[in-house]
Amino acid sequence: MIEVRLHGRGGQGAVTANEILAEAAYYEGKYAQAIPMYGTERRGAPVTAYLRLDEVRVRERDLVHEPDIVVVLDPAIAQRPAILEGLKEGGLVIANYPHPPELYPLGGNFMVSTVDATAIALETLKRPITNTAILGAFSKVTGLVKVESIEKAILHRFPGPLGEMNVNAVRRAYERTPMPIQARGEVRKDEEGPLSGSGYGLIRSAAGWRTFRPVWDLDKCTGCRICWIFCPDNAIGWAEEKPTVDYRKCKGCGICVNECPTKAIEFKREGI
Amino acid sequence: MSERITIKQVPLEELVITPGSACQGCGAALAARLAFKALGPNTIRHSIPACPDNVTRTPTSGGEFEAGGDHVTGTWRALKALGREDVQVVGFYGDGGVYDIGFQSISGAAIRNENVFIICKNNEAYMNTGGQVSGATPQFAMTTTTPVGPMSRGKPHSRKNTPMIFAMHGVPYVATASVAFPTDLIAKVQYGKGIRGFKFLDILSPCPTGWRFDPSKTIEVARLAVQTGFWPLYEIIDGRKFRLNYKPRELKPVAEYLKLQGRFRHLSEQEIEEIQRSVTEYWERLLKLDEIGEILI
Ligand SMILES: Cc1ncc(C[n+]2csc(CCOP(=O)(O)OP(=O)(O)O)c2C)c(N)n1
Ligand code: SF4
Ligand code: SF4
Ligand code: SF4
Repeated sequence: MIEVRLHGRGGQGAVTANEILAEAAYYEGKYAQAIPMYGTERRGAPVTAYLRLDEVRVRERDLVHEPDIVVVLDPAIAQRPAILEGLKEGGLVIANYPHPPELYPLGGNFMVSTVDATAIALETLKRPITNTAILGAFSKVTGLVKVESIEKAILHRFPGPLGEMNVNAVRRAYERTPMPIQARGEVRKDEEGPLSGSGYGLIRSAAGWRTFRPVWDLDKCTGCRICWIFCPDNAIGWAEEKPTVDYRKCKGCGICVNECPTKAIEFKREGI
Repeated sequence: MSERITIKQVPLEELVITPGSACQGCGAALAARLAFKALGPNTIRHSIPACPDNVTRTPTSGGEFEAGGDHVTGTWRALKALGREDVQVVGFYGDGGVYDIGFQSISGAAIRNENVFIICKNNEAYMNTGGQVSGATPQFAMTTTTPVGPMSRGKPHSRKNTPMIFAMHGVPYVATASVAFPTDLIAKVQYGKGIRGFKFLDILSPCPTGWRFDPSKTIEVARLAVQTGFWPLYEIIDGRKFRLNYKPRELKPVAEYLKLQGRFRHLSEQEIEEIQRSVTEYWERLLKLDEIGEILI
């Protein structure tokens, strides 16, 4: 039996990716079990899902605690040591990360492969929804599920042009993903603690929620206060008639970028 | 009635503490930030189960879903007994808690004219539990309990006109607001705060997750709701005096609003026309009320 854990953010489709993989495995006569982590999953907040694949009926009903494979849909989460929790010795990490596996920042006794799934999603879907692109990488690196079966499962779930766009994302990722190498990064503890996305109240930082970061060109700013008044997360401050930003609070929603009348705010991709 | 303010008059002081756990671009989180700016620190906030929106720097208590009205009543009566009538008692609740589950208790508080301020962060469904249909969900909207398929076209019924229902309780102040019109929203909270008795403010708070649009478009969606007449901004005093706060010469076509949202993606031209007809008809009725300045019943 192969056990997989998927990490993503609310809105990237980790739960859907998991179900598509299970369906694709089923087309190949395998037994599969897809489990979403229960919780109120906020768009942008860390989300976990679990998958089991086997040639015989799967009897376990627990969450996956010691995965053989960890799949990460988000480049910021991919850099968090917490994703390695419980990973078997010599296990495999498939990460959405904008650089080749040689530059992957985490280390330990595991193999790693990377693909810039965000770039592929932006090319094919025009949105940073990375769940289908990462499946192309999964198929290529593990060989556990054929890429054709993944495409069939995607078209079953999203018939029409949306399905075609997603199939395109899968194919591009399949072509671009290199074979895994031994992880070369740093072995370290996760200072931010476990990955938890659900719940109420305050969080330590929203920095990791962003795919894009708003950047101000104050020369173009007229001081109209529009970005300030519309920020839901109170990330924009007001000092000396100009906006200031606290990136610990900014979730990267893009409202400020969309609303600024003078286009003084640019949205730049995080982590490259 | 509320008095217009400019963006420069909006208090700089923030009553919310962030980062909180609401989604990216959450309209309800912004509704909380703006409303509590206007309420100020001398406020006790009550919550019932709902999405997390924003944590506020106020004493806060959580209560039963069904008992939103009783909860604020108890606090207000206690403050009165203590001689602390200066403190604002606010129930900041979701539309599920106001329109449906908690309606009876809030209606009771309205009839008794308790000195409380009920603010509804209206995202038009039960979002914290994944987006089930509520009394506030508009007709034809897809929710997880009114799906779209061969047997279903989204929600079959129109939404409940809750602000008007509260106005018909004859309470001192009822108003609607939108997060895209922050100065109007803040002016209404400031005005309501100065009135003794029952106040109700219904804030349309778009939810990118449940309404299915990109989080950068929260304000765009909220603005179009008002500009198309889908969510008119008005205020009512004592269940009688009426004023529209946003009155364009011409409304934008409602299709512009609907087309931004995945929850309306399935609509046929005919269904869009049906929605347009009902929006236009209601808008014309409101224009008449605005002209007379009164609800004549
Ligand atoms: C009596 C009761 N029934 C059900 C629930 C579960 N529940 C928690 S939050 C919620 C949804 C609240 O919806 P709404 O009031 O519209 O607020 P939103 O989540 O949309 O902000 C539900 C059904 C509960 N906590 N108590
Ligand atoms: S919206 Fe644009 S112009 Fe206005 S204060 Fe913000 S950055 Fe400056
Ligand atoms: S992207 Fe802009 S509006 Fe959104 S949280 Fe960041 S600063 Fe606020
Ligand atoms: S589900 Fe909607 S209302 Fe709830 S936190 Fe997310 S965006 Fe806000």
